[in-house]
Amino acid sequence: MLKCKINGKEMEVPQGTSIIEAFKLSGQDIAHYCWHPGLSVAGVCRLCMVEIEGQPKLQIACNTMVQDGMVINNNSETVKDVVRWGLDFHLINHPLDCPICDQAGECGLQDQYMQFGKYDPEMAERKVKKRKVVDLGPTVVLDSERCILCSRCVRFTDEVSKTHELGIFNRGDRSEIGTFKDRPLDNKYSLNTVDICPVGALTSKDFRFRQRVWYLKTAESICPGCSTGCNVNVYYNEEGLWRVRPRHNPEVNGHWMCDEGRDTYKYVNRKARLLEAKMGHRDNWTLESPGAAAKAAGQKLREVIEAHGPESVALVLTGQYTTEELETAVQKFKGDLGSSLVYHWVNNPESFEDFDGILLRGDKNPNTKGLLKILEQEGVSLTWKDLESRVQQGQIKTVVVAGPENQSVFPDFVEKVNLLAGVENVVWLTACPHSVLDSREKATWQIPLKTYIEKAGSFINHQGKTQSFEVGTVIVSSALTLAEAATLLVGQELEVSSGDRLAELTRKKNFFTETRGAL
Amino acid sequence: MEIKLLSEHYDKPEYRSLEGYKKHDGYRVLAKALKMDPKAIVEEVKASGLRGRGGAGFPTGVKWGFLPDNGEPRYLLCNADEGEPGTFKDRLMMERAPHQLIEGMIISAFAIGSKKSYIYIRGEYDDSIRIVREALKEAYSAGFLGQNILGSGFDHDMDVYVGAGAYICGEETGMISSLEGKKGQPKLKPPFPAVKGYLGKPTIVNNVETLAAVIPVVDKGAQAYRQHGTEKSAGTKLFSVSGNVVKPGTYEVALGYPLMDLINNECGGLKPGRKLKAVIPGGSSAPVLTAEECAQANMDYESLAQLGSMLGSGAVIVIDDSNCMVDLLGVIMHFYHHESCGQCTPCREGTGWLNKIVHSVLSGQGRLQDIDLIVRVSEHMMGRTICALSDAAALPAISFVKKFRDEFEFYVREGRSKVKGAAHVEM
Repeated sequence: MLKCKINGKEMEVPQGTSIIEAFKLSGQDIAHYCWHPGLSVAGVCRLCMVEIEGQPKLQIACNTMVQDGMVINNNSETVKDVVRWGLDFHLINHPLDCPICDQAGECGLQDQYMQFGKYDPEMAERKVKKRKVVDLGPTVVLDSERCILCSRCVRFTDEVSKTHELGIFNRGDRSEIGTFKDRPLDNKYSLNTVDICPVGALTSKDFRFRQRVWYLKTAESICPGCSTGCNVNVYYNEEGLWRVRPRHNPEVNGHWMCDEGRDTYKYVNRKARLLEAKMGHRDNWTLESPGAAAKAAGQKLREVIEAHGPESVALVLTGQYTTEELETAVQKFKGDLGSSLVYHWVNNPESFEDFDGILLRGDKNPNTKGLLKILEQEGVSLTWKDLESRVQQGQIKTVVVAGPENQSVFPDFVEKVNLLAGVENVVWLTACPHSVLDSREKATWQIPLKTYIEKAGSFINHQGKTQSFEVGTVIVSSALTLAEAATLLVGQELEVSSGDRLAELTRKKNFFTETRGAL
Repeated sequence: MEIKLLSEHYDKPEYRSLEGYKKHDGYRVLAKALKMDPKAIVEEVKASGLRGRGGAGFPTGVKWGFLPDNGEPRYLLCNADEGEPGTFKDRLMMERAPHQLIEGMIISAFAIGSKKSYIYIRGEYDDSIRIVREALKEAYSAGFLGQNILGSGFDHDMDVYVGAGAYICGEETGMISSLEGKKGQPKLKPPFPAVKGYLGKPTIVNNVETLAAVIPVVDKGAQAYRQHGTEKSAGTKLFSVSGNVVKPGTYEVALGYPLMDLINNECGGLKPGRKLKAVIPGGSSAPVLTAEECAQANMDYESLAQLGSMLGSGAVIVIDDSNCMVDLLGVIMHFYHHESCGQCTPCREGTGWLNKIVHSVLSGQGRLQDIDLIVRVSEHMMGRTICALSDAAALPAISFVKKFRDEFEFYVREGRSKVKGAAHVEM
């Protein structure tokens, strides 16, 4: 450990810590744009200047390592003056079009200028004109005038995605970020460039012009897109989710997440959801509230068991639910209904082990490990073949399916529904509707479930790491969790949410985040 | 008085060829050096007080001593990307005596233990490129390059690399980036090139003149070399003199030579009827000297530093009273704005800003506060960037405004130059 003093505060940092990292560790402010903890050091914005005792010249904190006994400060008038001017240099050719800029409200230029700025601009000349709308690829748009050439996005495509699409063309104040002809910014991690852009130069085609960020609230969650389990922040309002961004977790996803994971907010919103339960069969559906439908389905289950014995009822589970939900479902099914027929629906066995070397995994379920753990714990080890033969032999009269929350990653969805075509009763628990279910000819209950953002629980990722999360927001309030549905199906009553919990959720809705734009 | 340690035979056309070079004792010192202990050569260069002739004036032997002893391959790069406005000595050296450079480089490479070197030549120097390439061929066929040079067991290969015309590639790490096939942009230091340079390997970058000057140092020894020049600025230096003198050209004089002697004796003085106004003593990035300061100036590192300027690359630009200083600053600012690589914000934005302010004055749109603003912007560009280009733009701006403020104020007030007949040429 190395001893150093930062703005008078004594501290110890490990060998190999840069001064800017030491500032972050000490919790003190230091202006910077180009430095990013997940990327190499560029040292070009020249804002993180510090004074080091015994050194005549100011040094940049990002490229200077802490040495034992160093006395460092950035609160002297000299340093403050450098930062003020550094910000002015960044702004003299910046268009200052904040009113129409998507980054406004979470912009590094706005925030740092408020904190460190000169408040007395002296630029009287014409600004450099550059391209305002540059289509970089399928996901990202560039505004060159807003760009401060910190090179974070270039370094990201060089060092993290290793796709090398971006570069800085031309030189001096004519420099612009760009792509080569016929080589657009098109990779599975492209939207990270938008996250790390400290200004409004790179914007996401999916999110731009859709919401003002200060009207959105933030909640922490875990991405349900694959078994990596990236830590994320979701941004929502009363209408639903608007975007998903990575949350730093060095053990799981570092600073990044994939573009696929960012799209998972789409099936969560009302437009994509099953809002009411449907009971009946093709061309003859009755709408019902989810709770009532689950109770009715439960009644049917018990009738079937009475008539044909407990082995006529099967439960099919996917790795899309929280460990807690899965545990409740299996326990209720085995304990209260007495059936031991519990099956694991594996959506894409051939690509289950795939990994792209960065974050994306072939197992598109957030909680396969959790499901396997519960099955083992409850002593279930039936193969899918077993279910198929039982269905073919007509032994199974009723199947309860905890269908996939994210249907798009289940290529065998229709195939599985067809497999169950001959089964008398199917109780399909699902967050989103699917047309193939609507055309089923035998008795069917489609019961709406809540999505990951609407419930608390935990996923176990591919590493075996248990990651818990809380309720972010509620989008379809009447939908059930898998545990609630299982409870109702076995004929038990739900515990009513306590007042405290409701109050907490209400409070959360009114909470306004003030830490946007932090770099 | 000229002292021609390097340029003695530059006036003889035959000196360009291998045959002519050998006739005048060429490659004799190489044979001597190859029999020496490489470490002894490094020590000799250290003792000679030879300093980098490209602009920074860093002691050459000390630079060589920074190479880590880690068994990694080492590279020697010759910086022939002579881009500093006013400088043309390297071009002369390459055109008149390409073998002198090659010999100096082989000796230096032997001293630092490098098996591969590159001569990075400025892209616009068509003649130099052709001539050095021809000379390399001759040197290879004569056995001065390649395997087992002169039976010494020392192998060395040398190549020419042609730049694409960027001033910034004259900065050593910018040159390394360019040589690596990347955009020519300076790299963050540390690590320094001697530790991690070309392709991440230990690399020494030296100017053409520095490498050639290794020959007299090794030939006659450090003490003999120190006979010329001053205590801290040893040896001779080639000065490129341009501007309003009767005989502009390249002159080799001992360091410490009085500036006015160089102008009046070697260059034939100013044109009749003209008065000296100012001199830029070390290329366009050196702060300008007024006529009074010129009288005290000696052409060595210390004397010019004392006057607040620098020796730089030895490009002496003489300015007489027919020139408008505002217009000249406009030319210089245009240059640095055009050449800033754009990595570091203060330089990228500052050079453009300065250029705009000066040209707004030149177009008659200037405001009085612009004059102080030039100084303030410049001061905030200095010492804040990866390389020295930002300083190179700021230093002349500050010195022009501070020393010739009356001309700037006149221009703002009247919308025209204080110097009669000086017309502003739009760049």
